[in-house]
Order: sequence, then C-alpha cells, then structure tokens
Amino acid sequence: MIGRIVAISLNTFREAIRNKVLYSLLFFAVLLIASALALGQMSLHEEARVTVDLGLGGIALFGVLIAIFVGVNLVYKELDKKTVFSLIPKPIHRFEFILGKFGGMVLTLAVQIAIMSAVLFAILRLQGSPIGGAVVRAIVLIFVEVVVVTAIAVLFSSFSSPFLSGAFTLGMFVVGRSLPELRELITKLHEVALRDVLWASTRLLPDLHIFYVSGSMLNGQYATVHRVYVDWSYVATASIYGLGYAACALVVAILLFSRRDFV
Amino acid sequence: MTHDVIVSAEKLEKVFALGFLRKKVRAVREVSFEVRRGEIFGFLGPNGAGKTTTLKMLMGLIFPTAGTARIFGEPVPSIAAKRRLGFLPENPYFYDYLSGEELLDLMGRLFGLGRAERKRRAGLLLERVGLGRAGARSMPLRKYSKGMLQRLGIAQALINDPELVILDEPMSGLDPIGRKEIRDLIRELKDEGKTVLFSTHILSDVELICDRVAIVVGGRLRDSGPLDQLLSPRLLHTEVVLEAGGQKEAVRLAPELDVDEALRQALAAGKKVVAVTPRRESLEDLFVREVESGDVGAGAEHQTPREAAS
Ligand SMILES: Nc1ncnc2c1ncn2[C@@H]1O[C@H](COP(=O)(O)OP(=O)(O)OP(=O)(O)O)[C@@H](O)[C@H]1O
Ligand SMILES: [Mg+2]
Repeated sequence: MIGRIVAISLNTFREAIRNKVLYSLLFFAVLLIASALALGQMSLHEEARVTVDLGLGGIALFGVLIAIFVGVNLVYKELDKKTVFSLIPKPIHRFEFILGKFGGMVLTLAVQIAIMSAVLFAILRLQGSPIGGAVVRAIVLIFVEVVVVTAIAVLFSSFSSPFLSGAFTLGMFVVGRSLPELRELITKLHEVALRDVLWASTRLLPDLHIFYVSGSMLNGQYATVHRVYVDWSYVATASIYGLGYAACALVVAILLFSRRDFV
Repeated sequence: MTHDVIVSAEKLEKVFALGFLRKKVRAVREVSFEVRRGEIFGFLGPNGAGKTTTLKMLMGLIFPTAGTARIFGEPVPSIAAKRRLGFLPENPYFYDYLSGEELLDLMGRLFGLGRAERKRRAGLLLERVGLGRAGARSMPLRKYSKGMLQRLGIAQALINDPELVILDEPMSGLDPIGRKEIRDLIRELKDEGKTVLFSTHILSDVELICDRVAIVVGGRLRDSGPLDQLLSPRLLHTEVVLEAGGQKEAVRLAPELDVDEALRQALAAGKKVVAVTPRRESLEDLFVREVESGDVGAGAEHQTPREAAS
C-alpha cells in the first residue's frame, strides 16, 4: 500500500517539476520577495521588519494560490486526460490513488515554500538582518496552512468542477483567514437561535487565522516576527489542528470519490 | 470438458444520467457473457453499442446500475483479480510528461516489482510492441503518435505478465501492418496460455483470431458463442465472373440453382469463366443481420461524432 501511494506521489511531484507554469509562478513569487528588499531599504530602521513581513506574505500568498490552482485540478486532470483509465485497473485502491496525488502535491508545495524561503533568507543575510527562529516558525505555519487549503481544494473537486472548486476554496480561504472577525460579527446578532447556529457552524470552517501570525493582531497586540511572537508549542498546537482538519477533509473527499463513476 | 470461467458478467446494466436534466441513457442492458480460460474472446458491436461501458464496469472505473461481474471468481473491483490482469483503455492517453520507459516503470511499481525487474520487463515489452528504438523509449509521450500510444498502451497492459488481458479496441489507430502485428501479438498471448478479451467493431479482426464472440448492439447482447456456430454454414449465393469480348460481368447464382449447368451454358455461349466463388454467411452478414433486426436502442441514438469518426 505505502509503496503504491509513494509511487503515485513521486509521479505527481515529477509532473509538477516538469510543468512550466509552476516555474513561472515560482519566478513571480521570487520576484515579489525580492522586491521586499527594495521596500525594506526605503523604510529606515524598520527594514528587517518590512522585509520579513512582505516576504512571509508573499510566500503565503503564492503558496495558497498554487495550492488552490493545482489542488482543484489534481484529480480532475486525471479524469479529464483519461490517465486514470490505465491507473485504476492496476491493483490500487481508489483511496491510495487520492492519497498518492495529495502526497505528491504536499511534496511539491514543500519544495516550493523551501525555495521561496531560501530567497527570503538570502535577502535577510544581504541586509545584514538576523534570521531568527521566529521566521522559521512562521514558515512552518504557512506550510501547514497551505496543506489545509490543498485538502479543502481536493474535497471540493470531488463533487464540483475545477472552476467552482477554485471559487469555493478561495472563499473558504478568505473566510478562514477572517474567522475571528466573523465570530465577532456573529456574537453581535440579537436573534439568539440564529446566532447559536451560525456560531456552531463556524466550527466547521477552517481557522486559518491562527497560521498567519506575522503582521496580524494576536491577543490584542500587533505581532511581527520581532516583537510579540509565537513559540514552538503554539506552532505544534496549530499544526495538530491544521493537519487534523486536512485529514478530515481528505477522508470526506475519499468517501465521495470512492462512489464516483470515472467516465 | 469443463471450462474455467475467467470473466463472467451477469445481467450487467448501466444507466447514465446525462446533462442538467439528468436524462437517462441506458448504455448497457442485461449483458451476460463468460470468458473461458485460454480463449480469445471478441466483444463485437457497432459504435455506441456499450462495449467500452461494459469493460469499464469490469475494471471498476464505473459502477453497474444493476447486475454483477466477476473476474477470477471475485466480484469486481478486486485488487487480487487486478494483480492478474492487464487492461488497455480505448484511445489510451498517459502522462504526457513521461517517456515510454518511465511510464512502464511507474506501472511496474504499482505491481510492486523491483527496480531491476521493472527495467528488464520494460525493455522487453517496448521491443515486443515495436517501440524498441532508443528515440521512442526516451521521448516524452506528448510527442508519440496515436499508433505509438496504442502500442505503449499494450505494453503497459502486459507489465505484470497477466493471465488475463482485456483490450478496448486494440487495433484502433493502427495502419494495416500495425493491425496485423497486434493480431499476431494477441495470438502469441493465447499461445502463452493467456486469456484475451478484446472489443472491436472491425469484423475481420474477430473473424481472423477469435475463438468465441459476443455481439452487442444498442446496449443489448444479441448473440454469443463460437464464431462458426453464430454463422450459418448455408450457402448464400455463388458469384460467377464471366468474360465475353473483353467485357467482364458478374452473375450471382441463387443457392438452389445448379452451378455446373450455368457454367456449361455460359461456355456454350462462347463466354470465358474468370472466377467462381461460393459465398457463405460472413461475419459481416451476421453483423448486419443483428443490427437490422430489432430496435437499435438508446446506444446508437447517442452516438458521438468522435466515435463515428473512428
Ligand atoms: N459518461 C457517459 N454519459 C452518458 N452517456 C454515456 C457515457 N458514456 C457512454 N455513454 C453512452 O453509452 C453508449 C455506449 O457507449 P460506449 O462508449 O460504451 O460504446 P462503444 O461500444 O464502446 O462504442 P465505440 O465503438 O464507438 O467505442 C453510447 O450511447 C454513449 O453515448
Ligand atoms: Mg468504445
């Protein structure tokens, strides 16, 4: 079982590294992060903070864009191109196929985030700014967030078209990032029953806000990777939440895919 | 003699819901047949008959609306059965960023074959299907021609040295030489003791190599059995070609007429006999008979232009 999942994952990864579109996306990401250098230069004294915040923002933005764009097409493309017709008749279970595709995608994202991070570190080094553990923790959190978004994209793609899945996933991302604000709005509702139902339903949404901590409000304080910042135990808790959410989304996706006609 | 049944389909049925209105298309209706060990079984039918739909149900790609199918005695889809079979999809398309060698390697991995074994089998199979040239092996599949993809499709269906080979239109997209090569390959597979089930709408392919056939039209099974039992041995007519004064003419003699007498008369009239051919029922006649008899059904009505072109 593991061997087959790994084989499909490695093939998915190979598809990504032979894909020119992803290279150009990566190129623009690097460009954006590099422009952080220029902006950092302009803001005297604060250059390290600006570089780090812009750099992390760029990594998160491109990571999420790639996750949505590739995630919704991950399985759809196999059906559309009919490559699945020669794969499913091999001795594999459908869940192994879905997990393999997902694994390959996660590997691809890990490599892309690593490349973007390397660029950020290089710029920080050029600026003579310190590369703190806080930056590394922020990058780990971004990676987990991107994995969650990928799982959501795969879930939507198990029952809707890539375009709709992309729109839904983007919507989930925006809502997930602003979940605290959403919850605050809900508590202001006067209709008690509606308020409780809405409040309960926010539990189903992914809380993505907890993954993007640099440049956001944390416990009423503005956090940057220099001042108020999270420790490893926070990262661990958030990661367990994120990976658990992704696992649930994947299980539902696998259940939906397992009854679908591959035509 | 008792036969080992390798594939059995029992009243397989598939209803597709088409488009926004969920319009029902009954692609396959109550199709039952058996494929026995060691035979070449032809699954014959015109475009849109439901051949591909039936084979996809056998492969677990789509789920039957009703009925059951078993391969090696196991209800489909079964991982144990899949280990022992190979499948060629219709108009196969593979990961186009891989080369032929890489694709076979990937497929071999899914069967849990070791690296050395995968390499050995890939080399042998590429050679066997005529893709042995160094250029063809290592070229990305997006540069393969249709016929090359078809050949690679057959190679990947054989990577696990299967006991049962299921091929959906194995000869499509091939030139006459290619078709013959594939026919020979199918015969070789049979000689190796493998069982072959393949679909086609080309009569001559079936006539030349199949032990038994099933004929599907409009989603229904019309007939199945050994070819010589499906074809009536009776004489349809005798075709006589005569020549008189440099002019050729062909005459069809009904079966009840005396051919000797007719020839004697022709010779007496100063004509030359060029050819005398007795015509028995061919598969084509049977096919036309089956298609013409009864309603053609939902299948043909929803025939797509893509299929009509093939
Ligand atoms: N996914 C689908 N949705 C709706 N109808 C379908 C679907 N797949 C097949 N059909 C219909 O089912 C019928 C049988 O199609 P199928 O592809 O099985 O025919 P076939 O015998 O393989 O034909 P060909 O020789 O052209 O390959 C056709 O009328 C086709 O339009
Ligand atoms: Mg077909």
